[in-house]
Amino acid sequence: MEAILFYIFAIGVLVAGAQVILRRNPIYGAVSLAGAFFFLAGIYVLLSAHLIAILQIIVYAGAVMVLFVFVIMLLNLKEEELGEQRVTFWKAAGVAAVVATAGVLVWRALGPAYPTDPSQIRDNAVAMSAQGFGGVKAVGKVLYLSSVLPFEITSLLLLVAVVAAVVVAKGKI
Amino acid sequence: MTDFFYSHQPQHYLVLAALLFALGAAGVVLRRNAIIVLLSIELMLNAVNLSFLAFTRFPLVANPPMPGGIQQGHAATFFVIATAAAEAAVGLAIIIAVFRSRLSINVDEFDTLKF
Amino acid sequence: MEVPWLHLIPLLPLVGAAICGLLGRWLPRAGLYVVALMSVLLSFLVGTHAFFQLDENTARLHQLAFNWFSAGGLHVDMAFTLDRLSGALTLVVTGVGFLIHVYSVGYMEDDPGYWRYFAYLNLFIAAMLTLVLGDNLVAMFVGWEGVGLCSYLLIGFWYTDEEKAYAGRKAFVVNRIGDFAFLIGIFVLFNATGTVSFAQLDAAPLGLGVASMAALCLFIGAVGKSAQLPLYVWLPDAMAGPTPVSALIHAATMVTAGVYMVARLSHLYVSAPGVMALVAIVGALTALWAALIGTSQNDIKKVLAYSTVSQLGFMFIGVGVGAFFAGTMHLITHAFFKACLFLGSGAVIHGLHGEQDMTRMGGLRKYMPSTRTTFLVATVAITGILPISGFFSKDEILAQALHTRAFNFLTLTPNGTTHLGFLGPAIYVVGSLTALLTSFYMWRCYFLTFSGEYRGPDSVHPHEAPPVMTGPLWILAALSILGLVLGLPEHWVRGTFLERFNWEAFTARVFSTPRSGAPEEFTPFIGYAIALAMGWAGFAASHRLYFIRGLAGDEALTQAIPRLRRALFAKLYVDEFYDWLIVRPTWKLARTLWNIVDATIIDGLFVNGVAQLVAWVAALARRFQNGDVQRYAAVTAVGVLALVYVFLVRGP
Repeated sequence: MEAILFYIFAIGVLVAGAQVILRRNPIYGAVSLAGAFFFLAGIYVLLSAHLIAILQIIVYAGAVMVLFVFVIMLLNLKEEELGEQRVTFWKAAGVAAVVATAGVLVWRALGPAYPTDPSQIRDNAVAMSAQGFGGVKAVGKVLYLSSVLPFEITSLLLLVAVVAAVVVAKGKI
Repeated sequence: MTDFFYSHQPQHYLVLAALLFALGAAGVVLRRNAIIVLLSIELMLNAVNLSFLAFTRFPLVANPPMPGGIQQGHAATFFVIATAAAEAAVGLAIIIAVFRSRLSINVDEFDTLKF
Repeated sequence: MEVPWLHLIPLLPLVGAAICGLLGRWLPRAGLYVVALMSVLLSFLVGTHAFFQLDENTARLHQLAFNWFSAGGLHVDMAFTLDRLSGALTLVVTGVGFLIHVYSVGYMEDDPGYWRYFAYLNLFIAAMLTLVLGDNLVAMFVGWEGVGLCSYLLIGFWYTDEEKAYAGRKAFVVNRIGDFAFLIGIFVLFNATGTVSFAQLDAAPLGLGVASMAALCLFIGAVGKSAQLPLYVWLPDAMAGPTPVSALIHAATMVTAGVYMVARLSHLYVSAPGVMALVAIVGALTALWAALIGTSQNDIKKVLAYSTVSQLGFMFIGVGVGAFFAGTMHLITHAFFKACLFLGSGAVIHGLHGEQDMTRMGGLRKYMPSTRTTFLVATVAITGILPISGFFSKDEILAQALHTRAFNFLTLTPNGTTHLGFLGPAIYVVGSLTALLTSFYMWRCYFLTFSGEYRGPDSVHPHEAPPVMTGPLWILAALSILGLVLGLPEHWVRGTFLERFNWEAFTARVFSTPRSGAPEEFTPFIGYAIALAMGWAGFAASHRLYFIRGLAGDEALTQAIPRLRRALFAKLYVDEFYDWLIVRPTWKLARTLWNIVDATIIDGLFVNGVAQLVAWVAALARRFQNGDVQRYAAVTAVGVLALVYVFLVRGP
């Protein structure tokens, strides 16, 4: 059952991601990315990361993508203003490198790094699910007790980002 | 495939993360539209998030010596999401500012930072 | 005997030079004169005191001023030794030097740079004293170089005149050739004996080859400094300097440094009889050569310059045949009468307001009686027609040359059969001929200047020099006469009070004798007769040509031997020959090197080339940063691939 779900979600993410980089119109790209985020949230649930899945939908799909769409609509570009796409040597080389990197990573991921013998496989998450693995309480404990410093700094970072965005985009202060 | 969920292996998720990352990187390198580039960056960050969560779900050792235990992975993902949101906001603000002076968001035309 | 005050002798003039040089511009004139003259006078007094300390028991005074340096096996001290030879020379240098300082007060009265002049003059005295009193070859070399420097400074004293500046440069460059050889000689000696001190060198045994090499190199240095063939060309040009300078440096003292050096190293030279023969031959040839040229010069100072070269040749004949006492005696007497001659000519030039050409002089006996008388006395001394100082010293040299045994065992080739014992008499013949010529041209000089009627322009009114200039002239003339006591034959003065003045006896223990033995015993009278005959013959010829006929004598001579006269007037084309042989090729080589090495290689290849290389590399590197961010990202991706390959495919 979970396998089927995984494959559905995976295909969805990949197709949506491809749409992001292939479509000319940025609106289509933004909406495709939002769709990809939804599929990703599904995969996160499969990984027992419930809080993160919800946060993905609320923050990423719900806030960041909306911001993107707002900006795209604000800029209001016509189709022909983007001009021709020139594929230079270095761009092709970069893409090839990216593909090759992904190939290496895939090859390694599917390689013999992980044991296939069932007796050696451990699944700690199952044991931890009794304690609410991936739930709000568990993640909250970690955030507020162990990594409280990064937490506070992140809040500062968000403040800075807000101010910066306002200042930069405003033009005349 | 029947015992997929209980195979306790993160490979598939990692493969998916790698592919997503490749998609995002190709988008960064190829697309001329600055907004699409930012979207591709978001895609890459999500790929990273996915790999974080995969390794949190299927850790390599039983009790990793981290403060807070294996749940740290979720905390890290949390921070990545927050940072990505902040970065997207600022990046879009910059695009708006550049658009105001150049009337174009074609990254090929933003090449004045040279000799 | 160790004394702690010997260093004052060269130090006092040095201090005087420092004061005159550094403060002279602001000192009052009289104050500067006091400083300059007093420093030399005090040095003379200290030297006298030292000289009278020498007696039967005290052969030399010594002082170690300071340890100069030690490098490896070489240890050099700045030390001074005053023995009979250097003591006498010290008195000559400081005494004649003092007289010339006094004279200069009058001569340089109108010159605005007088303070510079006295500074240089004092510096010269200090350097010359260092040379004479030096205890080792390096200290002597310090003085050697110092007098060369002062010679350059003083010859080119009026440096705003290009020709005079070039004359100074010529003197320095030609001297340098000799100095280089001198240094090689020092190296050879140090290498062979491990010391440079004179006392230790005298005691060191030297093989024939090493001694010959060292003696030859040092002699080449003397050839440069003492203006012998072929390095004499700077001395006539050195007359561009003020006349007192010519008197002091280029007559009385500096040019005699070479003779002094050979005499000081007599032990070395008697160990190398072949080099001694060379010394004598060079001396004889130089004497003849310069005398020939001197007969046909019209500038009074040039005549005296060539006369100096010729007389120096005589001195080298003296030391070359092993009669070191004869050469040094002539050195001392020559200092007296040549200084008197030069200062007299300076008085003439001063009285004629700068005229130096004898064809425009004449009849000056009426206007300058003091100058005329002293010049006459000095001319008698140099030509030897009356038995005063010059007669005895010159005749002694020639007699020693005739009777020498130093060349008895010399052969032309190492195992040959041609014995060179004939060299002595041959040199005697050449020397006598030169004496005849000397008499001829010196009397020509006197007659053309003082006799007959005045040939100069009417605008010039000749007048006598002031007493500050004629005073030293009289003293030097008196010394020229009195110097005869140095050379009186020994058996004349034995038992009388004059015995202690006999130079040969005085320096008997200072010099070494030639290996082949002392010269033969001889009676001097035949030699005296021949010398007198030579002197009078020259006088007669000159009298016939110049006293009676004045300048017409020159024309008569020119008619008789036109080409020879022309060649002699042109100084036998030596300067032109050197110019063609050495000077011009050197200039061309220098220019070529400058073009190739300096302009092309260093400037073009290294300096400009490096700059161009940097620019070229920068132009290449510039292309990496074109502002295209996506290109940067692509390159980063390639880099990431490389890292991934290294760490994931190959393993870290």
